Amino acid sequence: MKKVIYILAGLFLTITMQAQDRQMPKPGPAPTVNVGKPETFTLKNGLKVLVVENHKLPRVSYTLTMDNAPYAEGSKKGVADMVSALMGSGTTTMSKDAFNEEVDFLGANINFWAEGASANGLSKYSKRIMELMADGALNPKFTQEEFDKQKAQIIEALKSDEKSVPAVASRVTDVLVYGKSHPKGEYLSEETLNNVTLADVKANYNTYFVPEKAYLVIVGDVKVKDVKKQVKKLFEDWTPNTAPNISYSDPKDVQYTQINFVDMPNAVQSEISVVNVVNLKMTDKEYFAALLANQILGGGGEGRLFLNLREAHAWTYGAYSSIGSGKYVTSFSASTSVRNAVTDSAITEILNEVKKMRNDLVSAEDLKNAKAKYIGNFVMQMEKPSTVANYALRTQTQNLPEDFYENYIKNINAVTPEDVRNAAKKFFLADKARIVVVGKAADVLAGLESTKLPIFYFDKWGQKTDKPVVNKPVPAGVTSKTVMADYIKAIGGEKAVSAVKSLSLSASGSVQGMRLEVSKKVSIDNKLVESMSVMGQGGKRVFNGTTGYQTGQGQKMDLEADEIAELKKYAYPIPELKLKDDANLKISGIETINGSEAYAITDGERTMYYDVKTSLKVAKSESVEGPNGQMVLVTPYSDYRDVKGIKIPFKTALNIGIEVELTVNEAKINEGVTDADFQ
Amino acid sequence: MRKSLMALGSLLMLGGVASAQQVAFEEYDLDNGMHVILHQDKTAPVIITSVMYHVGSKDENPERTGFAHFFEHLLFEGTENIERGEWFKIVTANGGNNNANTSDDRTYYYEVFPSNNLELAIWMESERLMHPVINQIGVDTQNEVVKEEKRLRVDNQPYGNLIAEVKRNMFVNHPYRWATIGSMDHLDAATLEEFRAFNKKYYVPNNAVLVIAGDLDIDQTKKWVNQYFAPIPKGAPVNRKTFDEKPITQTLRATYEDPNIQLPMVVASYRTPSMKTREARVLDMISTILSDGKSSRMYKKIVDDKKMALQMGAFNYSQEDYGLYIVYGIPMQGFTSEDLIKEADEEIVKLQKELISEKEFEKLKNIYESNYVNSNSSVEGIASNLATYYMLYGDVNLINTEIDIYRSITREEIRDVAKKYLNPNQRLILDYVPAKDKAQN
Repeated sequence: MKKVIYILAGLFLTITMQAQDRQMPKPGPAPTVNVGKPETFTLKNGLKVLVVENHKLPRVSYTLTMDNAPYAEGSKKGVADMVSALMGSGTTTMSKDAFNEEVDFLGANINFWAEGASANGLSKYSKRIMELMADGALNPKFTQEEFDKQKAQIIEALKSDEKSVPAVASRVTDVLVYGKSHPKGEYLSEETLNNVTLADVKANYNTYFVPEKAYLVIVGDVKVKDVKKQVKKLFEDWTPNTAPNISYSDPKDVQYTQINFVDMPNAVQSEISVVNVVNLKMTDKEYFAALLANQILGGGGEGRLFLNLREAHAWTYGAYSSIGSGKYVTSFSASTSVRNAVTDSAITEILNEVKKMRNDLVSAEDLKNAKAKYIGNFVMQMEKPSTVANYALRTQTQNLPEDFYENYIKNINAVTPEDVRNAAKKFFLADKARIVVVGKAADVLAGLESTKLPIFYFDKWGQKTDKPVVNKPVPAGVTSKTVMADYIKAIGGEKAVSAVKSLSLSASGSVQGMRLEVSKKVSIDNKLVESMSVMGQGGKRVFNGTTGYQTGQGQKMDLEADEIAELKKYAYPIPELKLKDDANLKISGIETINGSEAYAITDGERTMYYDVKTSLKVAKSESVEGPNGQMVLVTPYSDYRDVKGIKIPFKTALNIGIEVELTVNEAKINEGVTDADFQ
Repeated sequence: MRKSLMALGSLLMLGGVASAQQVAFEEYDLDNGMHVILHQDKTAPVIITSVMYHVGSKDENPERTGFAHFFEHLLFEGTENIERGEWFKIVTANGGNNNANTSDDRTYYYEVFPSNNLELAIWMESERLMHPVINQIGVDTQNEVVKEEKRLRVDNQPYGNLIAEVKRNMFVNHPYRWATIGSMDHLDAATLEEFRAFNKKYYVPNNAVLVIAGDLDIDQTKKWVNQYFAPIPKGAPVNRKTFDEKPITQTLRATYEDPNIQLPMVVASYRTPSMKTREARVLDMISTILSDGKSSRMYKKIVDDKKMALQMGAFNYSQEDYGLYIVYGIPMQGFTSEDLIKEADEEIVKLQKELISEKEFEKLKNIYESNYVNSNSSVEGIASNLATYYMLYGDVNLINTEIDIYRSITREEIRDVAKKYLNPNQRLILDYVPAKDKAQN
């Protein structure tokens, strides 16, 4: 009997113990982070070398950087981009192919850019890898052939960004915040790139790729002694020189909070950034408080902006803030992309969150979590041997006290809610904020006006412009019919247009470096054939007036009823001839298309735009179901040229995920089209 | 308790390539069958705590596919001591991060923290195993999330069904025949009881390995492991059926239509032995020779020189029971799938007839040496490798010795393995083409 009780008691004990044991454990004492110091030495020409020996793994990495002051390139913006693109394509002693082959053979990676280079690989090849990197960095070969090739690629990339709302938003925000002639405000364009020559590239390399403020960081399984010898041998002859140090006057914030609006009719989301200028050195006493304030406001998925705009309102996929720091001027930004309809509400909420940071103290828990995240990241960074080198480098280039990183955790922990509020007041300027909004004026402008904030208008390049015309009332007497009649008159007159029995167009453009060919034939008896091909791949669509089919990738299928219905209306050389009498078409207002006013005529999901002054058709837009929801595809028309007395647009574009600009190579009227084309 | 001490090894080493790599570890079993592996690395105050469960989609009931992956979601929903929705908050508020993933063979969960939160991490993983809350709210919520994941990663992704389709055709008996993400209909039809039964069967200590790697104190860690994991009762032994596949002796043919693609792809797939075999490693090397990098044989010839394909590649898809060797290509206009297969076959025949050059062989070794070094460059990588080598390969020490297997592979073996496994009658040819109703100009 006794025994049983003991057992029961024991059982009881285990159970209670167990229950206690399962409480959430408290963290142990914060780990002490031992920030090591690299070995350093300096060559006569000024190159500083930092070596972190780490023999844990048999690998090595080299990073060469130059701490030169930023500079503006003005009308030749793009020189440095070209230097970056051209470096690594061969040296004075090795061809590009031989160089790349050897890098592959070693299982290594080597990269170059305008003011630096990096390499990594197995330590048993450490010598050869450093030789290759030094050769590529100090003896680059710049040829006209490679220059032309790289330039064409950059222009291609710029073109594909032309209609990108985020790309425009980023460019305009920088222009407005820093000013167009500031190194951080100027932007690359085809125009400035065309001013760049091979001689500019060479001159830039000679001016800026210099050792005076250069740092070579070496991390890995190497011996300082060996490295020293090799670095001397390879880099000693690098000609000593100092890069120019031009100072730029600091950009100014606006006097009062205002919206800076850019109209992009193709936008389905508005890009919003609430921005102001920031000067925050890493040695400033508010540095850590400013980091934490930003973390709490919009540092990630736990940030207030995210919780408000995404979790509470479901207006966006994400909303974040960021604050720069360092010895040069930078900025604070709270930004998001939201669907058009909620643009003004999102601005109001962002401003509310910013004001809350400035006016109220953050809770102890919010602050504790933000600190935990920063300290956790800091601690976990220490796992990488390169962190020691990066910290040492930053200690030098940012003029930090020697013990900056030793005291990092202590300084984070010392921040109080009052410090956070003071930092927010100083760096998040709710009353002098510039709110850059890039979006579709027709959808968002009325809402923006209701915020009562002053609105200024800019174009896609950050130039001041007039307020875009949004659904301006149509003058009395102007109808769909008159607009189309005027268009017909403008392109040649009803008589000439009626005489067009067929139209044959062939056009081309380029997409990701490949040539794209498009052709279209259409006849007065409502027949159409159009085809597209890229690198031989492609397909066509054929309509014979009643039925049709479509081919592509070796497949063929019949057109569907809604396509046929559309083609019955639009498959004519000049569809307006019939459309002008179509009662289903409505004039919906006057909008701004590429800076000019145009009448908008809508037909279901399709809208056509006719310039108010010239009467010419300037664009067509269609709303289609895309992979990420509803998209608006805009097809522009310009460069009207005379073909047999009829004006035909020679420039247009095609939307295939990205917009491809098309130029008509050949336009024929009443020739080159036979019935056989439509079979 | 089984014990083996590897730590001595590293003390005896004096330098050179091999020693720089040696990953020291200690392993033992708890009484409930849980296997524990500890790896100490004090270079930084970081710790990773992970548990790998020997359950993947191949363990599923054919009428309830998708369960293994579903659990990877469900087991973040909360436990008796961690309220629903709190898991991620606890991790972030303590400066850490976490994630999980599922394959056909196993499911893996991990947390990375600054080292002062080791006890917390051990507690969280023990909570997940001891008493996860599996209720209707959690099942319903994760059902929606998994569907979004499938839309994002599979249904909306060009060529997203490729592997699933190859597997479906390559396996007749083996559960590798269904997709890891499983069937949404099966998940919709599953009852709460079925989820609980799955948990009871596979989420038991005797089917799991706990790996803790980083800045830890061995004695203290063992104490915590014991405190939090030992009270978890042992489960019934997990009996695994074996599924044999008859060798393929005649070319299989199949077609699949994908609405997300514009360009057809052709796939040749060969069935290969388990990843545990030496031959599977030889096949890894073969795929490197054929298509790793711009100077590889297939890429250089078919894409670069002859411009017959937009893309051409080969890879060895290694798994516990069988592997798949997959060659794929997208023909350019004017060339057919047959043309690509013919060119690819020529390269394979060349491997079967001629030894690769000494220079190419050396390049191959450099690449494997480099991959090996990088695979153990973070404690996260080490933890995952330790768990995988223990659970799926049955030999933890492979973390240090697998490179020796690769190093010992000869040029002759490369030729012979190509001859043994990569023949036209042993494969599937899959035409992966654009769906008809979505093709457009």
